[in-house]
Amino acid sequence: MNLFNHQITPFEIYEIRVQDAENKKLLKISRKLGIGLNLEEMKAIKEYFQKKGRNPTDIELQTIGQTWSEHCFHRTFKGSIITESGEIHSLFKTYIAKATKELNPSWCISTFEDNAGIIEFNNNYAIAAKVETHNHPSAIEPFGGAATGVGGAIRDILGVWADPIVCTDVLGFGPLNYDYDKLPQGIKHPKYLFKGVVSGIGCYGNNMGIPTVNGAIIFDESYVGNVVVYCGCIGLLPKDKFVRNAKPGDIILLAGGRTGRDGIHGVTFASAELTEESEEVSRPAVQIANPIEEEKLKRAIIEVRDRKLGSGITDLGGGGLSSAIGEMAHRFSCGAHVDLEKVPLKRKGLAPWEIYVSESQERMLLLIPEKNLEQVLDVFREEDVEATPIGKLIEDKLLKIHYQNYQVAELDTSFLFNPPRIERSAKWSREISKDHSFPEPRNLSSYLLKLVSSLNIASREKVVRTYDHEVKGNTVLKPLHGESGGPNDAAVLKPLVNSWKGLVISCGINPRYGKIDPYWMAASVIDEAIRNNTAVGGRRIALLDNFVWGSPAKPDRLESLVKACKACYDFAKRFDTPFISGKDSLYNESPLGPVTPTLLVTAIGLIPDVRKAVSLDLKLPGNLIYAVGPTFAELGGSEYYRLKGFVGSSVPKVRIPQAELTMSAMVKAIDCGYLRASHDISDGGLAVAAAEMAFTSNLGMELHLKNVPRAKDVNRNDFLLFSESNSRFLVEVPRHHATEFESLTKDAPCTAIGKVTKEQRLRVYGLKDESVLDMDLGELFFAWKHGLEIEI
Amino acid sequence: MKREEIRIFILRVGGTNCDEETKRAFRDSRMDAEVGHFNQLVKEKNLLDYDALVIPGGFSHGDYVRAGAIWAKQIMAKLGKEVKTFVDEERPILGICNGFQVLIEAGLLPQFDGISNFPEAALGANIPAGYNCRWIHLTNESNGRCVFTRRIRKGSIIRIPIAHSEGRFMFSKECERKYLERLLDNDQLVFRYCQHDGKYPDGRYPSNPNGSFYDIAGICDPSGTILGLMPHPERAYYGWQLPDWTKNDKIPAFGDGRIIFESVAEYLTKKF
Amino acid sequence: MLYKVRAEISLKPGHSDPEGETTTRSLKELTYPVRNIGVSKMYTITLEAKSRSDAETKVDEMCKRLLANPTKDNYTIQVEQTQ
Repeated sequence: MNLFNHQITPFEIYEIRVQDAENKKLLKISRKLGIGLNLEEMKAIKEYFQKKGRNPTDIELQTIGQTWSEHCFHRTFKGSIITESGEIHSLFKTYIAKATKELNPSWCISTFEDNAGIIEFNNNYAIAAKVETHNHPSAIEPFGGAATGVGGAIRDILGVWADPIVCTDVLGFGPLNYDYDKLPQGIKHPKYLFKGVVSGIGCYGNNMGIPTVNGAIIFDESYVGNVVVYCGCIGLLPKDKFVRNAKPGDIILLAGGRTGRDGIHGVTFASAELTEESEEVSRPAVQIANPIEEEKLKRAIIEVRDRKLGSGITDLGGGGLSSAIGEMAHRFSCGAHVDLEKVPLKRKGLAPWEIYVSESQERMLLLIPEKNLEQVLDVFREEDVEATPIGKLIEDKLLKIHYQNYQVAELDTSFLFNPPRIERSAKWSREISKDHSFPEPRNLSSYLLKLVSSLNIASREKVVRTYDHEVKGNTVLKPLHGESGGPNDAAVLKPLVNSWKGLVISCGINPRYGKIDPYWMAASVIDEAIRNNTAVGGRRIALLDNFVWGSPAKPDRLESLVKACKACYDFAKRFDTPFISGKDSLYNESPLGPVTPTLLVTAIGLIPDVRKAVSLDLKLPGNLIYAVGPTFAELGGSEYYRLKGFVGSSVPKVRIPQAELTMSAMVKAIDCGYLRASHDISDGGLAVAAAEMAFTSNLGMELHLKNVPRAKDVNRNDFLLFSESNSRFLVEVPRHHATEFESLTKDAPCTAIGKVTKEQRLRVYGLKDESVLDMDLGELFFAWKHGLEIEI
Repeated sequence: MKREEIRIFILRVGGTNCDEETKRAFRDSRMDAEVGHFNQLVKEKNLLDYDALVIPGGFSHGDYVRAGAIWAKQIMAKLGKEVKTFVDEERPILGICNGFQVLIEAGLLPQFDGISNFPEAALGANIPAGYNCRWIHLTNESNGRCVFTRRIRKGSIIRIPIAHSEGRFMFSKECERKYLERLLDNDQLVFRYCQHDGKYPDGRYPSNPNGSFYDIAGICDPSGTILGLMPHPERAYYGWQLPDWTKNDKIPAFGDGRIIFESVAEYLTKKF
Repeated sequence: MLYKVRAEISLKPGHSDPEGETTTRSLKELTYPVRNIGVSKMYTITLEAKSRSDAETKVDEMCKRLLANPTKDNYTIQVEQTQ
């Protein structure tokens, strides 16, 4: 190696003395460089360089810091956890990936290894899917943070050569009426965050011409200090174009936007808690979005793909070049030689380490066999996109970074990709919440009105209309249904011109259950994602997991994570729905406390013929309404309890095999054409589901609660109306299909509970045939439509 | 000319994003449509080899400055001569959404006195402010001049979605009345936003989704061969694209947008 | 000579300004006594020109050709500094 003496190099680079540093000094180095490594890790670095007989450069330490960060390496999920019932080696392998491995479906093409999960769509095409979190950047700068979150998810899809066709987004905010005076310094008001995040998401997807078709918005006190932003993207990939065959000698091509100082240390920042200083200190971590650059980049990459000119590809996300180049080299069992001065810069004057770790957006890394280089450069030129060869793959498993003829870094990939495993302990220390007893209220209408207009249930139309959900012209079942914009359970896409086969996209999320029991929360959101998908006709479902949790260094947060992961294994396995990709965001802690454990499950299903998809609106007066699946007295964490100011303890459970039988009976009924309308029962229970179906269609409903299939202990009208038990649906069946439908669903408790009426009222009769609800649909619709009052 | 011989050029540039579905619609109507980058048209291809030009939706050049403005000046600066010939020979030009914004900014619409150097109209920021994606109703106002709507009966209502944040059609305040009269006199007013019963909303949201003057959604040039409109007919081409197709026992094969593609096909087969 | 010119594009009086109106409402919500907000766009242009007036003429042309749409926009030009 050359000497790294600042006096003789014409640029800024430092030798960092770790060889002789004692523990205290090592930690100080980690802190000063902002790389967020702990003592164990710093000691491993010291040992490595002692063996090499030299000190590292700043760029080497930065590279290691980025590669080993929670964000890039998922240290918590891959590390050891000491629990009260024994040690877990890697949460990821023990739970998340285990179900997939055991189910081993033939239709899973790539799970958990590439930038996105890849599954089969039909004989010629595959589907790639990825969901990311972008919480920390969005907390500091909501517009840019959310926009670049979308941009990053799209690049993950491009990173497996797929053409992005759909975006999803799930957002979590504090209550919009949060008291300004209660906000700690440096934390932005939920309203400000809401507007910024929503505009950022819309801006990126709309500009790129990718429809945003599915998502959710949830409100929780704990999100005041920890805004939650999930961005997802799904792409279409011709199977024979999925190329991963790079070899030593292949050119490393950097394409897209220029590199600047923006977004330096985004990943170490994402892996740390937000503090009052975050706003000031983290400014450089804010990334600027330029969707048009990415749109052009996408066109060029698809062209390179279609002409089969590349041999490998990855996106530049967290950690920038430093993690992308290392990962690429490692993936293809090679090393890499990089000339950093070739990287096109926004402005002169960046130090080599800054170039290497910058997280400037809209950049992709391609590997190109040398003979194809000129053709590839032509493709990029034609699209007005800058593309620059910056190095090549080499045989030796080394990362060799050069800058102006000086070698500034040389690291073994075997060292870089084997960080010391961290060990943490997990212990449950939360109080068990209590259930409440209270008499059944007399006026249930007022509860229903409050529920449909509550923040978590009211219409998302104001937000959804600012997202283009129709671009590409393939959205068959839209997020807003018909004139009234009722809430469909899932989106259905028809991605191919010559096929009726469709893609069904849905999600499940529920932080309120997470407050009671993370295991049943995870089970419930898996059930919710699957039943949303099932409700419109989706099957052969693949799942994506996204954890948003507090600091894993705190044993109780970690124990709750362990519980949720365990549920992921249990229910993915039993529903036969493998996880194919995931991402975690830990360290969501603020001066106001930790985030409520929140798991987002995204479900991607198929429907053989999109023309058979079923929407939620009622179709014909006289048709029967069936309740599918039993109702239990499960009101813990329900919206009804929230109205009453309780959390409760009776969190909804998922009962296998009944749940699974219910889902498959629904799919069969849809395929046979027995269902004219279908809606899942979730937030707000049966009453809210019924109201939504009715006001979406301007047809009324008459229901009898005494016929609702239920557990023996459910003996109150309010519980039947508002319980949030899982695996339930409300469906419309024409009378002439009633017998066939009933015989199909005999394994899942299912009874006719009423009928569609011409009169535009929701009439519900109670257990003793008394009138419990008799409401005007217009009134319900108005309350639902205007519940979320905010200008975007 | 046979339908299959009709050559449609769908122009794109960085930020264009509705080109593929627009191509699909033309092809489904049995025309030979291709998508090409603006750079190709400048360097290697000849606009005059094509029978119709389409500027599809999107965010050309990020909609910076004003939606469509940068691309409009670029087109007129680099292809002005070919475009002029194209227009003089009455070969149709269709601008959808961002394409409409481009046609206005390029002075190709409304063309009261030929192609103008400065825009004679504007598509301003929506009222209410912000991006809006929704299905709306339109009435066909054309008395037959516009070649893109000849198959639609005057006054009939069609349903098509919009998706934009700058679509508020306007003239300068001083000339508003005068220009409107000229539009009407020349039979240049093609589409107005309306309620589902066909009544004009008179600016009221959401039937008029963006606050357009006189509820104007689309206009043509005096020859009737250049049409610009904010709504996206290519997104209402098939029956399964409709927002409430599930209510039918049998899905309609096509949506209302198709008739625009069929109309121009008919014009081209007869004329050339 | 190098000139720095600021061109400000604003809406002509009488045209609605939805962004200004929305912003007014949200600031009012934060209890500021805002009466009205006008949103304009400012371009800071550094260009080569023979003289101050040449710079002004050139930017005037830019405004007419691209930066402003005379249907709805007014513009003002300020030659800020010369180097």
